[in-house]
Amino acid sequence: MSLLSRFKGLLRINRLERELDDELRSHIEMRTQDNLASGMSPDEARYDARRRFGNSTLMKEDTRAMDIIGWIETIGQNLRYAARMLRRSPGFTLVAVLTLALGIGANVAIFTVVHAVLLQPLPFPHPEQLVRVYDDIRTSNTHDVGMSVPELWDLRDHSGVFQDISVLFPADANLTGGDHPERIEFLGTSPNYFTLLGARPQLGRVFTAADAQPGFTLGVVISDAFWHRTFGADPQVLGRKIRVDNDLYGIVGVMPPGFRHPGRTLGGDVDMWAAAGYSAAPFPTPVIRAARFLPGAMGRLKPGLTLAQAQAQLDSFVAQLARQFPDEYPAAAGWSLRLVPTQEDIVGNLRTELFVLFAAVAFVLLIACVNLANLLLARSASRRREIAIRLAVGAGRSRLVAQLLTESLLLATISGAAALFTVIWLKSSLLRFAPAGLPRLNEVTLNPAVLLFAFCISILTGVFFGLAPALQTARAGQIIALREGSQSSGASKHQLKFSRFLVASEIALSLVLLIGAGLLLRSFWHLLEVRPGFEPHHLVTTKIWLAVPNDPLEDPYRLPEKRAAFHQEILRRVSALPGVEQAAIGNAASLPMDARHFQLPFAIENRALDSESTPAAEIASVAPAYFSVLKTPLISGRFFADSDDTKGQQVALIDETLARRYWPGSDAVGQRLRLGIRRNQASASQSPWLTIVGVVANIKSDGFDAASAPHIYRPLYQVPTYDGVVYVRTASDPGSLGEAVRAEVQRVDPTIPVFSVRAMDFVLATYLAERRFALNLIAVFATVALLLASIGIYGVMAYTFSRRTNEIGIRIAMGAQRTDILKIAFAEGAFLVGSGVLAGLLGSLALTRFLRSMLFDVKPSDPATFASIAGLLAAVTLFACFIPARRATRVDPLNALRHE
Amino acid sequence: MLKPKSDVLQGTLALLILKTLARGEMHGYGITLHIQRVSSDVLRVEEGSLYPALHRMEQDGWISAEWGMSENNRRARYYRLTATGRKQLAEEEKNWARLTEAVASVLQFAR
Repeated sequence: MSLLSRFKGLLRINRLERELDDELRSHIEMRTQDNLASGMSPDEARYDARRRFGNSTLMKEDTRAMDIIGWIETIGQNLRYAARMLRRSPGFTLVAVLTLALGIGANVAIFTVVHAVLLQPLPFPHPEQLVRVYDDIRTSNTHDVGMSVPELWDLRDHSGVFQDISVLFPADANLTGGDHPERIEFLGTSPNYFTLLGARPQLGRVFTAADAQPGFTLGVVISDAFWHRTFGADPQVLGRKIRVDNDLYGIVGVMPPGFRHPGRTLGGDVDMWAAAGYSAAPFPTPVIRAARFLPGAMGRLKPGLTLAQAQAQLDSFVAQLARQFPDEYPAAAGWSLRLVPTQEDIVGNLRTELFVLFAAVAFVLLIACVNLANLLLARSASRRREIAIRLAVGAGRSRLVAQLLTESLLLATISGAAALFTVIWLKSSLLRFAPAGLPRLNEVTLNPAVLLFAFCISILTGVFFGLAPALQTARAGQIIALREGSQSSGASKHQLKFSRFLVASEIALSLVLLIGAGLLLRSFWHLLEVRPGFEPHHLVTTKIWLAVPNDPLEDPYRLPEKRAAFHQEILRRVSALPGVEQAAIGNAASLPMDARHFQLPFAIENRALDSESTPAAEIASVAPAYFSVLKTPLISGRFFADSDDTKGQQVALIDETLARRYWPGSDAVGQRLRLGIRRNQASASQSPWLTIVGVVANIKSDGFDAASAPHIYRPLYQVPTYDGVVYVRTASDPGSLGEAVRAEVQRVDPTIPVFSVRAMDFVLATYLAERRFALNLIAVFATVALLLASIGIYGVMAYTFSRRTNEIGIRIAMGAQRTDILKIAFAEGAFLVGSGVLAGLLGSLALTRFLRSMLFDVKPSDPATFASIAGLLAAVTLFACFIPARRATRVDPLNALRHE
Repeated sequence: MLKPKSDVLQGTLALLILKTLARGEMHGYGITLHIQRVSSDVLRVEEGSLYPALHRMEQDGWISAEWGMSENNRRARYYRLTATGRKQLAEEEKNWARLTEAVASVLQFAR
């Protein structure tokens, strides 16, 4: 009967009921009439007619079972029966619900995050139109090199791709005027940033194109968090002036609490948005194409334009620009623009990590299902009599399957509900385990999509683990019912074969998870072995930052000598602090393991520029003591000296990576290079040649798993920067040294904030913790899987041997040695384990390549990992079947034979 | 008290109903009468299994039903064979013939 006709039936129920009554009444009347005609008394005639129907209600029910009412009633009956069965074996129910709730809960939890981070569209109108624009230098394979202002204008006015485009300039600045100077995070944008996103303020207004200025617009918008933190959520905040990097800005608007900048920031959330035209002070002038100081841009594509179409249009636009300005875009550079959907851009490489985790929890659930299916099969053996009786009294096989399936669905639904409540209950504590870099966590909520997912996965789970055992049981029950209808012998051969198949697949699934965990673990070991190129113990870093006011006359440090003097004075004072062994200073780019570092192009003297790739390196400015404070060894030449200042010769240090790449086998000391590339060698804006005075060992500045980037170091006193990092090497535990440094800096200049005080040990630990997040979770899942698989194989083997007590008894009576029995057992176990492991190895080979981006120094098909994990799993599972086998050999042959 | 002589064998009921209806449309009571009469009272259709069977066959599309007036002006539900029902009848007749033949040959062999 089709579902449709059932539902039609539901609508017709009343009519049907009436018709059935009518039909029966008419039948009874006709029979009564005939009875009367054959000479019965009226009472007798009526009684006989009714009696023939037997129990007329029962018959009506049978008739109606054909229809929807019956269908629903059957479900109700099945449910009541199922609930009774589950109540009757509380131990089984508890184990099943716990196993399943664990599996379903893990899936729901990960799905909640995956949904919020990957699937849910960004909370802006037409989020699919939002893209991030990246500038790449293809030939040197350098991504995200930054954008120049003329390029921004070209994209806005002539590319034909964007409705709107806004600069994204993450920065931080000194907030002064309060109790103590503070470092805040701000985002430099174009005036159309908020209108581009379609975001509204909760207070005041956002800036619009009408606010356009060549430099900074003086009205700024602040975040809800900043409003609460600094202004106590004062509703009169509009129009308040704040001093940021010594400049006065007025607050024009406050964004609502849910608003987050959809993209990467320097550290945390943006406190303040400031619009600028980027074509007047404090930005470099004149506006030239070579000055790629804008970190990037975000655009809104024209409606109806797909990403591929937009990218194609942009590619031809780039080609046209390169023809128009051959000096600025030499073919050697291979400048190109790349569009990335904002939704993807935010998540970055965490995408893989989340999908891998999702796959891992799916595996755990699968294993839990298989285990439960096995448990149900074993249980069905003890329910044989019940099922035989039900078959004997006329229950149909399909009815029996429906009944058994209802039991498993009920189990799954209970577990699903338990899992959902646990996830809701533990939501905030679970989120604390999430890696810090995970974006959009504020959007993690329990929404209809999550509820739907939980529901669907519960039902699927129930069908998955329940269907096969139900079919098996009903079939076995039928056979038994025909044959003997008793409870004597154990499961049928077929059933045993099936449960062995389940155990083998369980072993295979566990192996895939274990190998995944093993690969991640090995990567992590490799990561721990990486030498960072500096000594992290007892090294404290703090950031200081000289304000960069928009008006140069407001800047007391505008002369380089002033900045150098400031840095030297700070260094002198900090070095004198108690507990300080040595101190150094460098610019922000010199701080290892910090925000992303950019590579900038450079040119080597007497080398053709039109080679295949443009040389590029990370460039940092450091004081002479930098390398000795970090304990980074010198390879050749010399370190910087105090005499390398603005008056001295223009010098640089390079690291080993750069030396090997461009001067392989020869000494780079004495060679010259210069920063930036100019095709026109006679250009007036040429930067000076720098003489290489030494080569230093590599410092892993971008994290342990990143390829070693080449570095060029410049003397800080020769090119004094506004940004600074103070490095302090202490004799013992740094303790509260940060406070002492802060006091010294503010004694020199009370307007300078001291922020990000960190022990390098702590930075490394945090970095590793982030890397360890996925590893930890997957290791936990893999352990659970191993445990479940061991229990599974133990159960099946124990069952097999208990069934074979007779056989073993006979064998022993006939003189078989216990070792012979063990051998038989071992062979059976080994076959099971062997086929499971083989399938698992094949599965791992197919799946581990998805882990590639999460691995470090380990191939996805690393033979050592595969072999050792497979060996471990085989050993554990073989041990699990050894226990019941040994018990079987202890059988007393007399007892065993009496067992017959 | 009438004792049922022989309940219609499970599974043959459908065949008997189909065959009966092949002669023309008929109501439930008529079907029981017809089967009983034609089989000389050997086969009796229990009312308790007739109506469930009729409804099942109606759901399966073998027969259709309509309200009509009986010979003595009583409202009754008349059942009629559908095309599917005719095919089903042919099928079941064939099966039945095969079965009886098989049983007969077993009986002969035993003799």
